[in-house]
Amino acid sequence: MSAHRIMFWQIEYTWLFYLLSAIAVLLFLIGAGSHIWVWKKNSKSMSLKGVGHALNKMCIDIITGRRLIRGDMAAGLMHFLIFWGFFLLFIGTCVLVAHEHLFEFLEGARYLWFSVLMEIGGISLLVGIIWGLVRRYLQRVPRLERRAEDAILPLWFVLMVLSGFFLEGARLAANSPQWADWSFVGNWIAGLIPAAAAERLYPSFWWVHALLCLGFISVVCYSKMFHILSAPASIFFSSASPVLPPSIEDETGRLDVAEAVFYDGCMRCGRCVAACPSSGAGEAYAPRDFVQWARKQMWQTQFPLNDIRLWNRGDYEGTNESMWYCTTCRACLEVCPVYGAAFEAVAKERRQAVEKGTLVPTILNQTLEKLFRYDNPWESSKKQRGAWAEGLDIADLTKRGAVTDLCYFVGCTTSFDDRARSIAHSFTKILQLTGVNFGILGKKEPCCGDIARRVGEFGLFEEQKEKCKTLFDQYGITEIATSSPHCYHTLANDYPDSSFRARHYTMVLKELLKNKKLSFEKPLNVTVTYHDPCYLGRHNRIFNEPRDVIRAIPGLRLVEMEHSRENSLCCGGGGGRMWQDLKGERKMSEVRLEEAEATGAQILITACPMCLIMMEDARKAAGTREGFRVMDLNELLLEALENK
Amino acid sequence: MTELNIIICVKQIPDPEAPLSDVSIDAENLEVVVDAPQVISPFDENALEAAIQLKEELDGKVTVLSMGKKLSDSVLRKALAAGADELILLEDNGFEKLDSHSTATVLAAAIKKIGSFDLVLAGRQAGDWDSGQVGLILGEMLGLPCISLAREITVEDGSVIVKKTVPEGYERVKAKLPALITVSNEVGELRYISRTRMLKMMRGGDIPAWTAEEIGVSDDAIEKMNIASLTTPPDMTRDCQFLEGSPDQQAAALVDVFVSLR
Amino acid sequence: MKEVLILGEVKDASLDPRILELLGAGKKLTEASGDKLSVLLMGDRVEDVAEAAASYGPDSVYKIEHPLLERFNADLWLAALEQACAEIKPSILLMSHSFIGMELGPRLAYRLDSRLTTDCIDLTIDSEDGRLLGTKPVSGGNAICVFKCAGQTQMVTVRGNVFPPAESGNAGGAIASINVTIDKSMSRLESLEIVEEDTVALDKANVVISGGAGLGDEDGFEMLEELAEALGKSFGSVMVGCSRMAVDKGWMSSDHQIGLTGTIIAPDIYVAVGISGAIQHLVGMVHSKKIIAINTDPSCNIFKVADYGIVEDFEQVVPALIKRLEEVL
Ligand SMILES: Cc1cc2nc3c(=O)[nH]c(=O)nc-3n(C[C@H](O)[C@H](O)[C@H](O)COP(=O)(O)OP(=O)(O)OC[C@H]3O[C@@H](n4cnc5c(N)ncnc54)[C@H](O)[C@@H]3O)c2cc1C
Ligand code: SF4
Ligand code: SF4
Repeated sequence: MSAHRIMFWQIEYTWLFYLLSAIAVLLFLIGAGSHIWVWKKNSKSMSLKGVGHALNKMCIDIITGRRLIRGDMAAGLMHFLIFWGFFLLFIGTCVLVAHEHLFEFLEGARYLWFSVLMEIGGISLLVGIIWGLVRRYLQRVPRLERRAEDAILPLWFVLMVLSGFFLEGARLAANSPQWADWSFVGNWIAGLIPAAAAERLYPSFWWVHALLCLGFISVVCYSKMFHILSAPASIFFSSASPVLPPSIEDETGRLDVAEAVFYDGCMRCGRCVAACPSSGAGEAYAPRDFVQWARKQMWQTQFPLNDIRLWNRGDYEGTNESMWYCTTCRACLEVCPVYGAAFEAVAKERRQAVEKGTLVPTILNQTLEKLFRYDNPWESSKKQRGAWAEGLDIADLTKRGAVTDLCYFVGCTTSFDDRARSIAHSFTKILQLTGVNFGILGKKEPCCGDIARRVGEFGLFEEQKEKCKTLFDQYGITEIATSSPHCYHTLANDYPDSSFRARHYTMVLKELLKNKKLSFEKPLNVTVTYHDPCYLGRHNRIFNEPRDVIRAIPGLRLVEMEHSRENSLCCGGGGGRMWQDLKGERKMSEVRLEEAEATGAQILITACPMCLIMMEDARKAAGTREGFRVMDLNELLLEALENK
Repeated sequence: MTELNIIICVKQIPDPEAPLSDVSIDAENLEVVVDAPQVISPFDENALEAAIQLKEELDGKVTVLSMGKKLSDSVLRKALAAGADELILLEDNGFEKLDSHSTATVLAAAIKKIGSFDLVLAGRQAGDWDSGQVGLILGEMLGLPCISLAREITVEDGSVIVKKTVPEGYERVKAKLPALITVSNEVGELRYISRTRMLKMMRGGDIPAWTAEEIGVSDDAIEKMNIASLTTPPDMTRDCQFLEGSPDQQAAALVDVFVSLR
Repeated sequence: MKEVLILGEVKDASLDPRILELLGAGKKLTEASGDKLSVLLMGDRVEDVAEAAASYGPDSVYKIEHPLLERFNADLWLAALEQACAEIKPSILLMSHSFIGMELGPRLAYRLDSRLTTDCIDLTIDSEDGRLLGTKPVSGGNAICVFKCAGQTQMVTVRGNVFPPAESGNAGGAIASINVTIDKSMSRLESLEIVEEDTVALDKANVVISGGAGLGDEDGFEMLEELAEALGKSFGSVMVGCSRMAVDKGWMSSDHQIGLTGTIIAPDIYVAVGISGAIQHLVGMVHSKKIIAINTDPSCNIFKVADYGIVEDFEQVVPALIKRLEEVL
C-alpha cells in the first residue's frame, strides 16, 4: 500500500462539519465584502495605472517580505516564518480538499513530500508565532502594543498548530503506518500517546482542530488578521492609485481608495511609531494611533453596523489635538509595510478642522491670519521683506528693466528671521562670486503657501499659489532657486502646470560645482555632519547634491549621523509645527542635535531655514560641546571660499 | 426658553498689530494713518465668538451691526462666515470719527429699528481709540442691565449668567434678559475662518446698509470726537539711545530714565 | 465756584494709592484755576478713609454711607454717584482708570449727559475756553491724542502710575455727608459668587523685566527679582519675564515666557536683559510703551526696537542699577 491519508477517519457527523465550514466561509465572505463596500463607499472614483508594476511590487513584497526585513531584521524574519508557515498549511489544506473532492492524487511519494512540507509549515508557524509573542510580551519591543487581539490571535494560532500536531500524532499512533517517519513531528507526538487511547482520542482532537480552524476563518475579516488581504491590497493600491494631493474641490473627509485600503491594512505594527520624530520625542502622538482612529472614523461614518472589528474597536480617542503634532516629515511612509502615509490622514483631518475653524489652535489661527494679510507668517507688514538685501547690489526683478537668468525665491522665514537671513546673505554672495546673473522679488515676494498647505488651509494655499504664479508670469520668471526645501517642494510639486522650473539652492550649487564655477582653494580642516531636511531628502530624494558640494571642500571630513538620508530625523519645524505650542518630553531638535554631536563633528550643516533655526535654538538651549556650530550649507561654503 | 436673539456690535479698524513703522500721523487732519489692512477689532471678534457659541448651543439668531463712514464688505462678511446670520451696515457720510456717545446713539437707533432682542454684545474696547465706552453707554441708552468684561457667558431660563473679570479674580453675576454685555478676550479667540468659507460668503447676497436717515438719527444727535491735537509719540521710530560710560554711570543714566518714566 | 471732584476708591480699608495720584492731578488743575478740589467716598462706613483723604488737603471730602454700598455694585454705586453729582454739580470729575472707573465712567457720563475721556496720561486746561483737555495714547500707543472734554461735568478716567501721588498736606478739608436714596431693586445684577484668582499675569504688569540666555544661570534671575523689587516701590506691578531660552534651560517656568509661544504683552516699560531679540520674542513685546535693553552685543536685534540701550555685561550694570534705584527712588 502506498503512503496516503485516510480522510474523515472515524469521524461522524461529517455533514455538521460541512455545515460549519459553510458558515465560516460565509462569515469570511461577508466580512471581506463589507471591507470592500466600505472602501468603495469612502473613496472617490479611482483610476488604476501601472497595474502590472503594482502587482509585481505587491507579489515580491509579500513573497520575500523584503520591506519587513529591511526595516527590522528580527521582526522581518519572524514574519517570514509565520507567513510561510501559514501559507504552506493553507495551501496544504486546499490541496487536501482538492484531493478529497476532485481527484485523488496524494499518494506515494507525493504524499510523503506533502507530509514533510506540512510538518515544516507547522513548525515554522509555531516558531514564528512564539517568537512574536516573546518579542511582544517578554522583550516588550517598544513599538508593539499589547491589546486583546494581540494575545488572542497568536494563541489561537498556537492552539491550531498544536491541535493539528496532536491530531496527526493520534492518527499515527493508532494506525502506525510504515511511512510515519516522514511526519517527524507527528510521529514524535505519536510516541507519547498509547495506541489504545489514540484511537479513542482521535475524533475529539479532530473536532477541536476543525473548530479552531473554522473559527479562525470566521474572524479573519473582523480582526487585525484581515491584513492578510488588506496589506497586499494596500501595497497594490498605493502604487496603482496613489494618494493624490488633496485639492480644494474635494469634498472634505473624502478619501482616496489607497487611503481607505491603507486604514484597513494597518496591522498596528508600530514601525511608524518607531520612526516618527514626534513619538520619539515623547509627544502625545503616534501615527499608528492616528491611522487607527481614522480607520474607526471611516467605519463609523460609513458602515451601518459601526466598527467591524471585534476587539480594539473604539479605544483611540482624542485626535483633536493630536492631528497638530505631525511635522509631515514622511518618515512613517518610509517604513510602513503597506506604504501608508499617516501624514496624509493627518492632512485630511486638518483640512476639516480648518474648515470648521473651532479646532484650530490659537497661534496657528493667528499665523494663518497674518499669512493671509501680509504674505508671511512672521511680521504684520510686507515692507521689511526685502530689507535683508539692502545695500547688497542685488537686482530686484519687480523693478523696471531688471532681467536675470535666475530668480532667487527667498521665502518667508529666510526673509524675516534674524538667524535665517544669513542664508540669504551667504547664498547671494556665492552667486555673486560665481558670476550668476540673478535677482530677487524684494518686498513683492509672496509666501509660496507651504504652511497653509501643510496645515490644511487649502483655500489660502490656492490664493498664495495664484499670487506667486501671477507674479512669476508678470516678470517672465522661468528659473527659480529657493532657500527653503519647503518652498522648493511646494513650487515643484504642488503647482501643477507651472511655467517655471524650481530648484532648491543645493541643486544650483551642485550645478555650479559641476560647471567648475564653484571651487575651493584652501583646505578647511573641519569635521562636519549633514542633516537631511525632510522636504529635501525624503520628500524629494535630494540626498547626494548637498553631500557632493560639502565633499568638494578640500580637507573637510563629512561624517554621517545614526539617522541619515531617508532615515533622517526631523528637526520638528515642518508641517506648521513652527507655529504650534505643543510639547513632549523632549524637543525633536534636541534629539537630533545629540545625534549630530555624537558623530564627533564640529559643525552640523543644514540646508533649510527652519532646520537652521530649530537646531540653533536647540544648540543654545541644550548647551553643546564648546565650539560646536550649527550652520547652513551656504555659510560653510562661504567660509571655505573666503578662506584665503 | 425659545430661541436666543443676539445683536452684536463690531467695529472695523486698521490692523492693530501693524508694526510701528507702518503707522504715521496726519496731524493736520487729526488722523492716524495706518498702512495696514482693515480688520474687525479684536475684542469684537471675541464677542462674535461668544455670540456664535451661544447660538450654537441654544439656537437663535446672531445679527451683526457695524457703523462707519465707509465699511468694507470683505472685512465684515467674516462675521457671517463665522456663523452670524445677518450683517447690517450702518453707513453714512456723517458716521465718521464719532465720539463714543454718538456711536452708541447710532447703534441704539439701529437696534430699536431691529426691534426684539435678548442680548446685545460688544467688545470691551476698540483696538484703535481704546476708549471702552460704547458698549456701556449703549446699555444705558437701551435701559438694559449692563455687564462688563465678560469672560464666559451662559444663558438659562431667561437669564444670563456671566463670569466677569474683577480685581480679585472673577465674579459670577446673573441678570434677566435682555441685557448688554461687553466681552473681554478671555471668552476665546474667534474661530478660524478658512479662505474657502470666506470666499463663499463673499459671493453671498447683498448686505443691507442703513443710513442715518433710515434709522432716524438726525445730524444734531451726533457729534464728532473733539480732538484738540494728535501727535506722534516722541519715541515712534525707536531710535535706540545708548547710555554710555562705566557701568555705574550707565546705571545712573538709566535710573534717570526710570524717574522720567514714572 | 467750580469744583473738581475725585471719585475715591477704598482698598484694604484704606485709600487706594491710585487716588493719591488723582489728588496729585487734581491739585495741579485746581492750583492753576483756583477751583475747589474735593473727594467723594462711598461705602458702608468710610469715616476713617474720609479722614485719611482729608489729610491730603482737598477742600472738602464727601462721604456717602449706606449698607448697600458695602461692596462695589455698579448699579447701586452708579445711582448713588448720579445723585451725588446732581447735588455737588462738579465741573470736572476725575476717576481712576480702574475696574470701577472703567465700569462707572461711561454709564455715568450718559446719565449726566456728559462726555468722558478714558485712560488719560495728562490733564491740562485749555487756556482759551477753560475746558479740560485729556491726553490719551491711541492706536496701541502709536499716537498721542488730546481730547477736549465736553458737557457740564467734564469727565476723565486717569491711567495709573502716571501722575505723582499727592503728598499729605495741611488737613482741614471739611467732611460732609451726602444722603442718597438707593434700594436693592436698583441693582439689576445678582452676584452669585466671587472667585479669587492668582493674578500674577504678565499682561497685567506695568513693568516687566525679562531675562534671556545671556543671564547664564538661575542666579541671574535672582538679580532680576531684586531689580523688580527695587522698581516695584514706585512702579506698581513689576514682574519678571523671560525668553524661551530661559524656559528651555529650566531657569524659569513657562508661564513667564514672552513671545510667540508665550504671553504677548505691552507693559509701560519692558526691560530686556541678555535677550538677543529673535523675532519670536519680539512679537510678544514690541508694543511695549518703552523698551530698555541691556546686552553685551551692540549689534543684536533687541537694540533696534529699544528706546534705551546699555551695551554692557548685565552682571556689572544690574547691581549698580539696583543700588542706585534704592538711593534715588
Ligand atoms: C517656533 C518657535 C517659537 C518660539 N517662540 C518663542 C517665544 O515665544 N518667546 C521667545 O522668547 N522665544 C521664542 N523662540 C525662540 C527664539 O527664536 C530665540 O531662540 C529666543 O528668543 C532667544 O532667546 P534669548 O534671546 O534669551 O537667547 P540668545 O539668542 O542666546 O541671546 C542671548 C543674548 O544675551 C546676550 N548676552 C550674553 N551674555 C550677556 C551678558 N553677560 N550680559 C548681557 N547680555 C549678554 C548675548 O549677546 C545675546 O544677545 C521661538 C523659537 C521658535 C523656533
Ligand atoms: S510624517 Fe513624520 S511626524 Fe508625521 S506621522 Fe509621519 S513620521 Fe510622524
Ligand atoms: S501605519 Fe503602517 S507602519 Fe504604522 S502601524 Fe500601521 S501598518 Fe504599521
